[in-house]
Amino acid sequence: MIDCDIAIVGAGLAGMRAAVTIAEKNSKVSVAIIAKTYPIRCHSVCAEGGSAAVLRKEDSFDLHAWDTVKGSDFLADQDAVEFFVRECPKEILRLENWGCPWSRNPDGTIAQRAFGGHSVNRTVFAADRTGFHEVHTLYERLLKYDNVEFFSEYFLTNLAIEDNRIQGLSAIELKTGNLVFFKAKAVILATGGAGRLYGFTTYSHQVTGDGMAIAYRCGVPLKDMEFMQFHPTGLVPSGILMTEACRGEGGYLRNKFGERFMQKYAPEKMELAPRDVVARAMWKEIIEGRAFEGEHGPYLALDLTHLGEEKIEQRLPMIREAAIKFLDIDPVEEPLPVKPVQHYTMGGIHTNMFTETPVKGLFAAGECACVSIHGANRLGSNSTVECLVFGRVAGEMALKYIENVKDVKINQEFLKEEEKRIFDKIGKGNENPHTIKRELNETMDKHLWIFRNGDGLKEAIRKIEELKERYSQASIADDCRKFNVALLSTLEVGYMLDLAEVVAMGALLRTESRGAHYRLDYPERNDKQWLVHTLAYYTREGPRFEYLPVTITKWKPVERKY
Amino acid sequence: MGVMSWFKYKSPFGLAFAFQRITGIILLFYLILHLCYLTSLQSRELYETLTSITVSRQFIIFDSLLILCGVFHGVNGIRIIIHELGIGHELRRVVLAVSAIIAILGWIIGSYILFMALGD
Amino acid sequence: MKFVIRRFKDDKSFWQSFEVPVKKGMTLLDGLFYIRENIDPSLAFRASCRMGICGSCAVKVNGRPRLACETQLSKFKKEIKIEPLDNFRVIRDLVTEFEGFFAKHKKVKPYLIANTDYENPIEQLQTPEELKKYYIFTLCIKCGSCLSVCPSSATLESSLGPAALVSAYRFNADSRDRGKEERLKIVSESFGVWRCHSAMECSEVCPKQIEPAKAIQLLRRETLR
Ligand code: HEM
Ligand code: SF4
Ligand code: FES
Repeated sequence: MIDCDIAIVGAGLAGMRAAVTIAEKNSKVSVAIIAKTYPIRCHSVCAEGGSAAVLRKEDSFDLHAWDTVKGSDFLADQDAVEFFVRECPKEILRLENWGCPWSRNPDGTIAQRAFGGHSVNRTVFAADRTGFHEVHTLYERLLKYDNVEFFSEYFLTNLAIEDNRIQGLSAIELKTGNLVFFKAKAVILATGGAGRLYGFTTYSHQVTGDGMAIAYRCGVPLKDMEFMQFHPTGLVPSGILMTEACRGEGGYLRNKFGERFMQKYAPEKMELAPRDVVARAMWKEIIEGRAFEGEHGPYLALDLTHLGEEKIEQRLPMIREAAIKFLDIDPVEEPLPVKPVQHYTMGGIHTNMFTETPVKGLFAAGECACVSIHGANRLGSNSTVECLVFGRVAGEMALKYIENVKDVKINQEFLKEEEKRIFDKIGKGNENPHTIKRELNETMDKHLWIFRNGDGLKEAIRKIEELKERYSQASIADDCRKFNVALLSTLEVGYMLDLAEVVAMGALLRTESRGAHYRLDYPERNDKQWLVHTLAYYTREGPRFEYLPVTITKWKPVERKY
Repeated sequence: MGVMSWFKYKSPFGLAFAFQRITGIILLFYLILHLCYLTSLQSRELYETLTSITVSRQFIIFDSLLILCGVFHGVNGIRIIIHELGIGHELRRVVLAVSAIIAILGWIIGSYILFMALGD
Repeated sequence: MKFVIRRFKDDKSFWQSFEVPVKKGMTLLDGLFYIRENIDPSLAFRASCRMGICGSCAVKVNGRPRLACETQLSKFKKEIKIEPLDNFRVIRDLVTEFEGFFAKHKKVKPYLIANTDYENPIEQLQTPEELKKYYIFTLCIKCGSCLSVCPSSATLESSLGPAALVSAYRFNADSRDRGKEERLKIVSESFGVWRCHSAMECSEVCPKQIEPAKAIQLLRRETLR
């Protein structure tokens, strides 16, 4: 049993930002960062484009908030958004102070670029490796403090909750394969999204939504899970992200006739409309046969050739490197083959704007949480700052919370139960979990994609139920405990099935189209009935749904046009 | 791990490093031997018997190899020193190729002179 | 294509071959996942981002360290030999112990040392030229390839190794940093820059073309100032 004051699960942007706050404010509190991978292997390093923040006079907090609310299709909680935009600039400057190599203007000030859905150049960036530099800056900053300890390659399996209070958690130490218990007065979940539910996705391999699913099973509701973001430009066929900054820097999207088809869909903003709008437009082009046909199916062209080698090398070096390495195409000379790709989970663990979940002492921040500032559609470059802002809030809240907690005890029953569950109960059948995962991916890619309809969703739910049934017979084909990846994959698939069920049922129930959730059978937004958040509670029979009104302060819902 | 890993080279640079070690050790070994040889030359007879063994046509191959070691070690050493001054890292392939050529030329010329000196 | 993989299980090591069907554009990592998903679910290897930015997946391929996710299979003929990285202790199959590697990185104080205020951050200026002086060295993904080929790290485990020294130089060359002296003291102690013998293997294998060897020499020059 490992004893700590605050346990942080997940070592991405949000988790590490929380740890920095705690260490900075109180050097006596012991912090354990528990993560499935080493900190700098987290998915946050894949963030490319930038982080939005109001830094200059031309911009204002209200404008940033309005862009965000409008982008969210009015499903964002406006009090949270107003708080969020005010905190963003400070976070950017803090990272600057800790050594982040932000790209600069010639006069030495921090440079900002254009991004989809933002009215002004607001996105701070470090070439096209923003997330990478942010993560490294935070990780390196953490090496400075003595009270933060990393438990890397520990896989979270369960949370110990009693009387609605957090007591600690259990995790598998991958190196030895042993189940380890952490006693903690407060736990911060920062485990990221659930992107690997989909097959064609920009996510890293390990992003299977474990944290969300575990919290959900422990009785914490999930919010707005039916809203999945599709990024317009994923490289075909791998799904590697071609950042929105490609378009921010002036890139065009073209169909097979060479037309900049966005003219038809968003005449004002063109390629820089929010992601849901562009992704839908692209998918429409594809369905209506105006896309190129390649050996990996239809695709559209992301044309950067007119930007010139110098600009691409300076602003988009990684995009160029990836395109050359993975496709042997140099974007300086040729357009890139792209199509919309699953990219972000707007929903997540239900928290209020102070990152508190309904369980006392359990906080959630980053992509795994749903505050919600993104509503039905997140604006590009709002997520990295979200991790920073709410990671910090979570750290502060946890610190405040543990002041009044004397000692916690983990129930012995919990320990025994968990040992039994992991090592004796799971994986005694002979069904290959990877097959289940593949079929789940196919189902999600087909029925829960950009355009959804009732029949498809029902079909998806039926399929997920079938997969769940088969999952109870899943196998773990490895008897050695050390680095047992078979056990890991099996556990992950179990979590993914739970989440998929919530996503699909939430999508079926929401009979309207809003932001990234588009129903062909209900193509209109319906503010009368659906200006609410979806909350899904775990029950043995499947999710139970409740709805929560959206907080509106300044901005009444209006028609969304770009 | 261990000494053998010096020779698990992955590129020509690793190979050059391994050779630098080996030739350095050979040179050192030779230097010691050479000093022993010189200090042992106490009488005229000894000098003549020893030189008759070492200064001969059969032995020239060893002399030539010694020149190779020396030239390679020197030239490669200078190459390393250049890079250790922080210069020319981006051009390191070119620098390596040039020093290899110089080393081989030096070896051929050295051996030729040696051969000519012995020839008459 | 035949994958010949060096496996480690229960302190035993053995070679095992797998037949993997190769499609155009497939990477080595895709191949490893194919094996895990269809042939042997116990094959242990690390992977995360699959786009060469997280540094998880470095393995030795036909004797040379490479990022599995960036390695196109079309580069190879019929057979491909895969082993864990050298100079790291193996945990299982292709997974190696990285704690020591990260501990070395920590030793060089790889963070900006400057007088800044947490509560009231201010915008420090830095021109693009100043940024350019160190930017390339910020790109290290800590994949461990360089350490795995470094002959002096092979014979002396306590050598800091290329990646840690790259980090030290990255901060020393940053115009905002005020901790140069501290860091120079650390890297000029016996296991730092003076352990480098310029074998230059690190610069050859670094998947991000960082030239660790150059960083080490530049750092050396600073210690002599
Ligand atoms: C032209 C003259 C010479 C130059 C430029 C030169 C240069 C070098 C260099 C740069 C190294 C590599 C140091 C390192 O690994 O960091 C080296 C190694 C070595 N040298 Fe020389 N050297 C010369 C002559 C000699 C001679 C005459 C001897 C023999 C007595 C010798 C013995 C060695 C030995 C034993 C090593 C091995 C140490 C090692 O690999 O680190 N060198 N030399
Ligand atoms: S310097 Fe290069 S080879 Fe070494 S760890 Fe960093 S990226 Fe990998
Ligand atoms: S998987 Fe991230 S670098 Fe290869």
